[in-house]
Amino acid sequence: MTAHDLKTTLGSAKPIVDKTIVEKTHSIEQIRYGCAIGAMQSVVAIPRAIPITHCGPGCADKQFMNLAFYNGFQGGGYGGGAVTPSTNASEREVVFGGGERLTELIGSTLKVLEADLFVVLTGCIPDLVGDDIGAVVKPFQQQAVPIVFAETGGFHGNNFTGHERVTRAIIDQFVGPYDGAPEAGTVNVWTLLPYHNTFWRGDLTEIKRLLAGIGLKVNILFGPESAGVDEWKAIPRAQFNLVIGPWLGLETARHLETKYGQPFLHAPALPIGAGETSAFLRRVAAFAGLDKDRVEAFIADEDARYYKYIEDFTDFYSEYWWGLPARFAVIGDAGYALGLTRFLVNQLGLIPARVIVTDNPPEETRGLISAEFRAIADDVAVDVAFEEDSYTIHEILRKTDFGHKPPILFGTTWERDLARDLKGAIVEVGFPSSYEVVLNRSYVGYRGALTLLEKIYTTAVGASA
Amino acid sequence: MTKQIKQIAIYGKGGIGKSTTTSNISAALAEAGYKVMQFGCDPKADSTNTLRGGEYIPTVLDLLHANARVNAYEAIFEGFGGIYCVEAGGPQPGVGCAGRGIISAVQLLKQQDVFEALDLDVVIYDVLGDVVCGGFAVPVREGIAEHVFTVSSSDFMAIYAANNLFKGIQTYSNKGGALLGGVIANSINTDFHRDIIDDFVARTHTQVVEYVPRSLSVTQAELQGKTTIEAAPKSEQADVYRRLAKRIVEHTESKTPTPLDQQELRDWSASWADRLIAVERQSQLLAS
Repeated sequence: MTAHDLKTTLGSAKPIVDKTIVEKTHSIEQIRYGCAIGAMQSVVAIPRAIPITHCGPGCADKQFMNLAFYNGFQGGGYGGGAVTPSTNASEREVVFGGGERLTELIGSTLKVLEADLFVVLTGCIPDLVGDDIGAVVKPFQQQAVPIVFAETGGFHGNNFTGHERVTRAIIDQFVGPYDGAPEAGTVNVWTLLPYHNTFWRGDLTEIKRLLAGIGLKVNILFGPESAGVDEWKAIPRAQFNLVIGPWLGLETARHLETKYGQPFLHAPALPIGAGETSAFLRRVAAFAGLDKDRVEAFIADEDARYYKYIEDFTDFYSEYWWGLPARFAVIGDAGYALGLTRFLVNQLGLIPARVIVTDNPPEETRGLISAEFRAIADDVAVDVAFEEDSYTIHEILRKTDFGHKPPILFGTTWERDLARDLKGAIVEVGFPSSYEVVLNRSYVGYRGALTLLEKIYTTAVGASA
Repeated sequence: MTKQIKQIAIYGKGGIGKSTTTSNISAALAEAGYKVMQFGCDPKADSTNTLRGGEYIPTVLDLLHANARVNAYEAIFEGFGGIYCVEAGGPQPGVGCAGRGIISAVQLLKQQDVFEALDLDVVIYDVLGDVVCGGFAVPVREGIAEHVFTVSSSDFMAIYAANNLFKGIQTYSNKGGALLGGVIANSINTDFHRDIIDDFVARTHTQVVEYVPRSLSVTQAELQGKTTIEAAPKSEQADVYRRLAKRIVEHTESKTPTPLDQQELRDWSASWADRLIAVERQSQLLAS
């Protein structure tokens, strides 16, 4: 911002009104995200890291049960579920402050739990009464305990907001400064929200496989393929940051750009299917300056396998006479919704009847998200709706014209009843997926797209059983 | 390397002359060429009035109340000598949480890197001195103000408030919080006033930064919606504020005070009460 800009905005005090925002009902039926402290699951997603929650009774349990249990039944992991220590703050901590209780809890945690990194996450109580968490954590940091804190009271935003705050806390308080030379060919990946995105483990595995395939050394940072805190410590050395998705991770990438002078590449669409994935890999390779022959060899190999399966699949796709869906709706996070829509339109030739983005992206990112949906293909543009209340979402879908064939909905468990009413099919692709048991399944990249095809058409043909 | 911005918090019991003193310090610093921001942290939102002709400005919390997202610059208004004036504001009395309001307001400006963008030399937080909850302690936490000053008269209630503040500073002192620069002794017109405050700072191991006398010129200036620096720049009082401002901006070494515990404070004030009575008796004897 220039001095002139500053002058012109000083004291203008004009309310910002965005006419494109749908009027809110101020109530949310059937939630589609957790609250900021739900980012405790982002900590759990880092191998050998443990969250310590400073919040009222029930906060941590609800976030875990919602995000990790009734969403693919993903399990507690090393530091999640029943392991996560909590202050269980009560009236005493509200009135007198919870600093002492937290100090006691951290001390006890260090006695009984072993971890490479502890992250203290606060709930609404300490953030409201103004507990100075930095002052509580600092003495432990000074004793070389690997511990950081993030303020994640629910009023700061949802678990996406919490995720960015946790990420930033680890970078600023644990990774620390670095002024050495960058390591060519190394990338930090910022993409799906761990646990919230039901298939994140498989998806991150596939993303890492793809990027490694074209010759990059990948800090995937979360999930079973991450090397844990060693990878986090290596963040500053990376040549660049890669943000995959329309908005989540951008704030982190910008921060890293300022902090370490690292450039970043933003790929708004999660790559699903050969067309998208090959284009994505070529874009990353060009940005990183990778060896073209190696990149093209990898892509050719992947393409060959992928299209062999697609070739076999086309017999079914063109000859199955008992009704396959033609029009679809996607109800989900901006990241998955965009990737899916592009795949369904461009790879399968399905028609988008409606896309609803439910993760409440920051206002300033909505223009870009809308623009991405306007450019699905040369001749296909989607007017995306931003909505979080399931009542409204279902009202919109009931009024949607799906043509004369049964629709297919890519959504969540909340769309089950609606799909039945519409006599359509449902594929659960997002939070909450309470009728899916998910281990390493992935829907992204080359391999994930094949799995997605299996899922879609097993669901479609299964309906006639 | 960005320059170090001097961040100062001034606390004091309500009505003790805290905002008057703070605004005069800001005005004196602006006059001396510093780029200053005065940040009022009191739900009453009148800290910066005398820097803007007695005018109230929309507060950060007014803006946050009306909009989910706020451009911090919309809450910054220029006052006397180009001083950037900000009021945190708060909910209407009796509702909501004023302490959280202070936290939100301070964080909003910090998040948007406003201080750096405006290239400030000094930020002065003018904070309600009754540190009733964690929110009002925000300016003394690590990473915000480095030096705390308290405005106090020789009035015992004001001294109690100062002593309470010292307790807060002591709590955070070993955790990277702000330390005490000293006491700004306000409304000091007699030796007796001076003795009380001198004794208090000696016992709590701090110092008096400046003795500010009660002066009619301050009241006159305030009635015009101005600081003394602006309304009566040539007055003796204006020079007192200039001297105070210079001391504060040049101050570097703050310390942890040793507040009196409840019994010590009681005994201490009782001993001064005895002396007061003795002095009064003597004056009555002399009169008769």
